[in-house]
Formats: sequence, C-alpha cells, structure tokens
Amino acid sequence: MISRRTWVPLAAIGFAKTLRAQKELTVAGKKPLLVLNDFPEDLETPAEYFDRWITPNDVFFVRQHLPRPKMDPSSYRLEISGMVGSPVQLSLEELRKLPQTTVVATLECAGNGRSYYRPRMPGLPWSKGAIGNAEWRGPRISDLLKKAGGVASGAQYGTFDGADVGLAQTPDFIRSVPVRKLLHPATILALEMNGEPLPELHGFPARLVVPGWDGASWVKWVTKIVLSEKPDSGFYMATAYKYPRRLTPPGVPPRPEEMESIEGMAVKSFFTKPAREAKFKLGPVLLQGVAWAGEHRVLRVEVSVDGGASWRQARLSPQNLPFAWRLWSFEWTPRAPGYYLACVRATDSAGRTQPIEAPWNPSGYLWNSIERIGLLVEA
Amino acid sequence: MPVPNMRVLFCFTILLVAGLAADPSLIEKGKAEERRACVGCHGLQIIHVQRLSRAVWDRELTKMVNWGAQIREREALLEYLATSFSEDKPPAELRLSAEGTARK
Repeated sequence: MISRRTWVPLAAIGFAKTLRAQKELTVAGKKPLLVLNDFPEDLETPAEYFDRWITPNDVFFVRQHLPRPKMDPSSYRLEISGMVGSPVQLSLEELRKLPQTTVVATLECAGNGRSYYRPRMPGLPWSKGAIGNAEWRGPRISDLLKKAGGVASGAQYGTFDGADVGLAQTPDFIRSVPVRKLLHPATILALEMNGEPLPELHGFPARLVVPGWDGASWVKWVTKIVLSEKPDSGFYMATAYKYPRRLTPPGVPPRPEEMESIEGMAVKSFFTKPAREAKFKLGPVLLQGVAWAGEHRVLRVEVSVDGGASWRQARLSPQNLPFAWRLWSFEWTPRAPGYYLACVRATDSAGRTQPIEAPWNPSGYLWNSIERIGLLVEA
Repeated sequence: MPVPNMRVLFCFTILLVAGLAADPSLIEKGKAEERRACVGCHGLQIIHVQRLSRAVWDRELTKMVNWGAQIREREALLEYLATSFSEDKPPAELRLSAEGTARK
C-alpha cells in the first residue's frame, strides 16, 4: 500500500510520464502498435500482423493492469506455499533446471472486441487485436507443485501474485486458477516466449500460461503461488473477469450472484485481410483471417459473401491443436461488380459455433460475433 | 400580467440547463482536475479512448475514489468527462506507438 507521503512524488512521476507519452510513445522491443493507454502501456496489435501462425514478440499485444515491476533475475525467487506438502522457494536457475515443456497457445484478453458492444461499458475499448499466438516454454505447474511436496488434500485453487503492485489503494492484481486446470500438462510457468526469454512487458522472468483461458489468468512476473480451498477474495477474482450465468437485456446489469469467473474462451474467427470497406477491381480476391476456440480445436471455418445467406468452407492452416489458433483463407471471385457483405464463422471440436451477435455483458467480455465486413468490387 | 407561454418557458429552461452543463470554465476546471488527480496512477489515454454515459463516468469516479484517487473537483471532472467522452462521440482514433525495436 502506498502512503500519502509517497503519493505526491508518485503523482509527479506519473505526470511527467503522461506528458512525455502525449508527445510520443516509444515502447522498447515493440514495433508500432495501437496505443490504448500510455502509462502503463496497453497496446493492440494491428490486424495486418496476424498473417502468420506465430505472432512475433515485437508485435504481440500488451495489457498491464499496474505499472510493471523491475525484475532482478539474480535475486528472483518463486515462493510456493499454502496447502502444499512443504513450502518452497525456487530461484530462476532452479526453474530452468526443471523439465521444460513447450506449448503453442493463443493468448486473448477477455475484453478483446469490447469496443463493438452497445451500450458501451468501462474498460479498454479493444477492437480485434488483443490476441496473439505464441510458443511458450517452461516448467509445468504440476512439476512445481511436486517440488513443494504436492497439493494437500482439500486444496482447490492456486492463487498467483506477480511482483507488480497497485498504486494508492488500487487493488493488487491477484488471480486464482482451479487446481484441476493447474495440473493439466499444458499449464506451465513460461520462462520463454517464441524462443526468447520472456520480454519484460510479457512477464519476465516467469508468467503463468493457462492455455485456452482468458488472458487475465496468465499472471505475469509471478513471485507467489499459494494453494488454498477458496479463490482469492480480492477485486480481480471477486468482481472482475466475471460473466453472467444468465443473460440480461443490453444495459441491464445481472445480479452479482449471477456472475461467475471466466474460464475457457469462446470460439471465434475474424478477418485480417482485406480491411473493412476495401475496394477491388473485379477479379479474384483472397480473404484471410484467424480462428480459435479456447481449450478446443477449430474444426471448420465458413465464409459467406452474401451477408450470411449461404456459406462455403474456408481452407485451414494445417496446425490442428487445442489452445492454438488456425489461419484460414478463402479464394473468392466475385461474379459482378457491386457491394458485398462478407462474413466469417468458426465451429470447434466441442460443437460450438459463433453467434450472430455476442451477448451483451456488463464488462464487455468474450466478444465473438460473426464478423461482417463490407467489400466494394468495381468494374 | 401576461401568462407565460409554457412551451417557451420549457425551451428556455432546457437551454439554460444545457448552457450550464456545457459551461466552458467548468469543463476547463475538470480538465485540469483530470491532470492533477488521475496521472499519479495511470495515463490519460485510458480515459480518453472511452465513450461512456454520464452515469457510467460517475460510477467510474466513485471506483477511482475508492481506489485512492484524491479528487477535489468532482463535479467539474464529471462534467468534463461526460461532455468530452460521451457515448455519442465518435470512437477515439488510436495513434500508433513509435518504432521501438531498436531498444530492448
């Protein structure tokens, strides 16, 4: 907690950073990205970068709830405590010596697409680009828990805290994940991202990777794991990142007891090319995009060029994995000039298909409406 | 004494309220308050990219006060936010950050 005595200097630092950010924001290690916030940086990936299966680190989106901490790898310790056999502290070197697992998984902010909901709600107005697909590598959480003597009987949640702290009385960013998911062989503490040590912005030196789950569960700069019977009672578990069990009309908040924590993400697809309202000369056009399905596999992507009246299957990239997105493409030759409404929808291995309209919810999470883009074909 | 035309009176009242609501000095005061009270914890961009109703901005201010923001000119700040970043305003045009791959 930060006292009033430190409030004034902090405010001065923040003010200076804000003034600097208003002039120009340069983010070390990042190509130009869309700036949703300047301090701390929240950056959206322009859709043009989603033209490959793996999203490079230098264009990967950034979401920070709190200013990121400065981490010293030599003094770094991960503390595992609570309902475990024997609490333990592990150095970065010790984490690196454990068996390392590689997982390709898509990371998406729960609020990706929030800007499309009406009525609007508070929160970063992401469009499509709070998402990316990366190769994550590090020890399994199950192996870390074994190092701590195993999970005690009755423990239901692992609560993860990073080294970032809230300013003033802003709540600390703490998230809990059920033990059943933590013990999944693909749930890891990533030390690497796309073959490099985790970049600072993405949680150096250690980040929780919860494949198929919302980005908020992927805690960065992890320093503590506490096993317990219940999830954390702080703001980021008790209030935030919840979705209504039963839907309400747009703008009508559900009762708090109707809200439950988001876990697996929705099935989703979108266009990466062409852009909305693009113009073409009459001739073949390649429509492209990505599709993903949280914990499931993308089985099918369909495209319509007549506003959803008829659908045809798109070609999918060969990677058919849970947790990771697939690229899709569709070669289209318009028969005549005119204005066309192109749509795309995905279906996953759990039988889920995208809805025409994602249901409104008070925090604007899980937007997965069938995307529709207008295209003008000229003679 | 002539009876005031109720329709004119109603329009006058609406204009008066609208005039007061759009008081430029109040909005300027709110803008200054935003720079003073908010930047200790976060940049202003996260505010300026949002488009919310007055009621939702009001709730956001309550949340921020509960999180430690020391807001002295709440009425002015709410007026500034509700006027400048209302739901009916066009979406914010997001700028791109500068090239930063030379620095790691």
